Amino acid sequence: MGALSLSQLIDLVVGGLAIGCVYSLIALGFAMIMRATNIIHFAQGEVMMLGSMCGLTSLWLLPALPLPVVIAVGMASSGLIAVAMELAVYRTLRRRRVPIMNIITATVGMSILCINAARIIWGSEPLRFPELFATTAYDFGGVRMSPQLFWIMVMGVAIMGALQLFLKHTPTGLAMQAVAQDHEAAQLMGANLTRIMAYTFAISGMMAGAAGIMLGSMFFAFFEMGFITGLKGFVAATLGGLGSIAGAMLGGILFGLIETFSTVFLSSAYKDGIGMILLIAILLVLPSGLVGLWQKRR
Amino acid sequence: MAALIALPWIEPDKFALHVLSLIAIASIAAMGLQVLLGYSGQLSIGQAAFYGIGAYTSAFLTAKLGVPFPLALIGAGIAAAIASLLMVPITRLTGAYLAVATLGFSIIVYLFIKNEEWLTGGSYGFIGIPRAELFGYVLRDARSSYYLNVGVGAIVYFVFARIEGSRFGRAINAIRQDADAARASGIRVTLLKSECFVIAAFVAGLAGSLYAHEVRYLAPNDFTFWKSIEILIMVVIGGVGSLAGAILGAAVVVGLPEYLRAIGDYRMLVFGAILIATMLFGEGGLAALAATLGRRLHALAMRLILKPTASRKAAP
Amino acid sequence: MSAATHGEGLLEVRAVTRRFGGLLAVDAVDLAVRRGSVHGLIGPNGAGKTTLLNLIAGVYRVSSGFLRFATDDITRHSTAKRARAGIRRTFQNLKLFGEMTALENVAIGLHAQTHAGFFDAVLSTPRHRREERGITDRSMAVLQFVGLAGLAQARADSLAYGHRRLLEIARAIVARPALLLLDEPAAGLNVTEAAHVSDLIARIRDDGTTVVLVEHHMDVVMRVSDEITVLNYGRRLAHGTPAQIQEDPVVIEAYLGRAGETDRAQA
Repeated sequence: MGALSLSQLIDLVVGGLAIGCVYSLIALGFAMIMRATNIIHFAQGEVMMLGSMCGLTSLWLLPALPLPVVIAVGMASSGLIAVAMELAVYRTLRRRRVPIMNIITATVGMSILCINAARIIWGSEPLRFPELFATTAYDFGGVRMSPQLFWIMVMGVAIMGALQLFLKHTPTGLAMQAVAQDHEAAQLMGANLTRIMAYTFAISGMMAGAAGIMLGSMFFAFFEMGFITGLKGFVAATLGGLGSIAGAMLGGILFGLIETFSTVFLSSAYKDGIGMILLIAILLVLPSGLVGLWQKRR
Repeated sequence: MAALIALPWIEPDKFALHVLSLIAIASIAAMGLQVLLGYSGQLSIGQAAFYGIGAYTSAFLTAKLGVPFPLALIGAGIAAAIASLLMVPITRLTGAYLAVATLGFSIIVYLFIKNEEWLTGGSYGFIGIPRAELFGYVLRDARSSYYLNVGVGAIVYFVFARIEGSRFGRAINAIRQDADAARASGIRVTLLKSECFVIAAFVAGLAGSLYAHEVRYLAPNDFTFWKSIEILIMVVIGGVGSLAGAILGAAVVVGLPEYLRAIGDYRMLVFGAILIATMLFGEGGLAALAATLGRRLHALAMRLILKPTASRKAAP
Repeated sequence: MSAATHGEGLLEVRAVTRRFGGLLAVDAVDLAVRRGSVHGLIGPNGAGKTTLLNLIAGVYRVSSGFLRFATDDITRHSTAKRARAGIRRTFQNLKLFGEMTALENVAIGLHAQTHAGFFDAVLSTPRHRREERGITDRSMAVLQFVGLAGLAQARADSLAYGHRRLLEIARAIVARPALLLLDEPAAGLNVTEAAHVSDLIARIRDDGTTVVLVEHHMDVVMRVSDEITVLNYGRRLAHGTPAQIQEDPVVIEAYLGRAGETDRAQA
């Protein structure tokens, strides 16, 4: 409590932004899947956890791997896992035209499956990442910043920027946008729905995989790490307005900042609760999330 | 019904009766969610909050204040129902937004249970919860508490079964199918949705109370988000919209892991796989599956009975 | 003003405006609906007819203006409150409860007239049983009235399209509303079915329900309306009896000479 010094404030903002980037990346996955299929993908956190585990495993095998490669490994493995889920289970469920609640429950089943598979493969102890970043603080004209948080922010922004470019300027990206708007119309225009869905899951998985490496390097990798973080990503996506890409990014950053600042002003025991209270409050004012702010007037 | 009454005398194994009690308790919470999700179409992933409030209320009333069990049971339901009134403003949310808000509420309740040691015992747990007693008779053995839990479950079932085909039942069904059309027919959508929330919370509170006196020890980890998800799985696996399905789902979700105990570490792995596989059966869940199976068996039986007569006629 | 044979005003819409972002969907429209009349509301596509209907039903709130129903100012009332006060409607794109039977769909229309709640149902109180009997009897009578008595137990989503249109009307009139808003009740119907619907609308009016009718089938509108208001680009273009409207040069211009009107659309 009490007044914060400027450097403390900056530390908090940077910490909040960095963890916010992680949430944004997970929230993006939720939002993209929500847009394309209308399902809440409860296994999104587990996709992230598996990416984190695979990245860590690659470091065990080749300790000299540079950070970008580790991130790439995490993204690739999470992407593949998410596509496998889509092709093996969700697509079949959609083809059988089962109710949406069944698909959502299947994603819970998927999440249980992943958590327990990870516990069998990697054990139940938290696993520490090797040092991936420089340990001496960067100095930006008197403002000191941890290299780890700095690079997480940079990479988070770069990945999200790349995603935006992909969605806006490539044929596949545009087709994904079209499918998200209207399945039937997109199909009439010649979009291959099955392929687009697979792409959607691949990209959502890659976002989660990047988040997994970042989160793992900040704390540690752990078979249950996807559970609470996945929920926070879902909350962030909802906060932004489910199904909106920009909303998900904003929601994630905002959630990270809220969470970080609430630990300063409130007992850390209720850290997770503050975000939830704010979330409920925001939803009461804007029943469809932050995107409602600029869509409401129409 | 008769089978449920006779069961403890046929299968007097204490542990089996305890598992059956837990199934009965879970099915009460699941039936509540069935009314909320299956009838009124509202997705809650926070029922564990009301279950937890009921459990701790009942534990506190009996252990700390010496309130008799039947009153504590009702008190638990009422406490959960009152807590659910806090949720009334969010019933105007729909779909995933509603789900997230209920999730948020349950996380807050969980944190409260975990951190307010003076009231709940915090992470150490709440110990020394007395056995349930009814009219001065303490339910000491597994058999009598089995009757209590199954009895309350049966009451909840018969109460909820009345909703279908009633004015109230029609109205909440209408809200689920088309809220705009329901409004245009003069239905107060938000009011009725809130009523469903309160009803589901009340029975979740009852279930929590029964649970507290069945296991007689409460820990915050019994009331995490996973418990909410478990309750949801029961409803979906059993068949959304079917009361009997909620009970069937409770039996599977509570009973199956007990059966799978033998395979140790792989238990939950197999459970997850079974859950995914069950979803492939489509709309009706296990309830519809059982009905189809019943019809097939019936048809088969009829064929077996009718065949000899048919062939006899053809023979001469 | 013509059509003076009808009773006093039941619904008064005064200077009602509704904006969607920059678009003026309904622009300062006045409408006076007399008790016991059928009031036709016509106009080219996008004229604001359905929006006006939704404003009267309470689906949208007015941006400015005033709505009076009988003696009450209903400008700020919710949809459900208006429905309970006696304003019922049908939907252009049919909003039936597909999983329910035809009879149950109609019974929903009586919700506001009955009172049994959760506890009545659970305890099966005399009130509950009495009400249920009343609901069934009245609903059957209305199904008979619209010509669907034989399909009472059929699931709504299994009905033929024309029957679904009739079922929606049955649901809307079962509570004997003072005002019935019909949003294109004859859309997609063939000539015989449309004739049946116009006949039905006349019978509904004769039973004491005032009707506001939005419809593209001109023969239906001209046959059953006592008065007609024409909307164009969200504004009131003309008002009068069917005969007057048919001869009004401004109306003919709006329907036939649409090309000349396009620049006004930009305004």
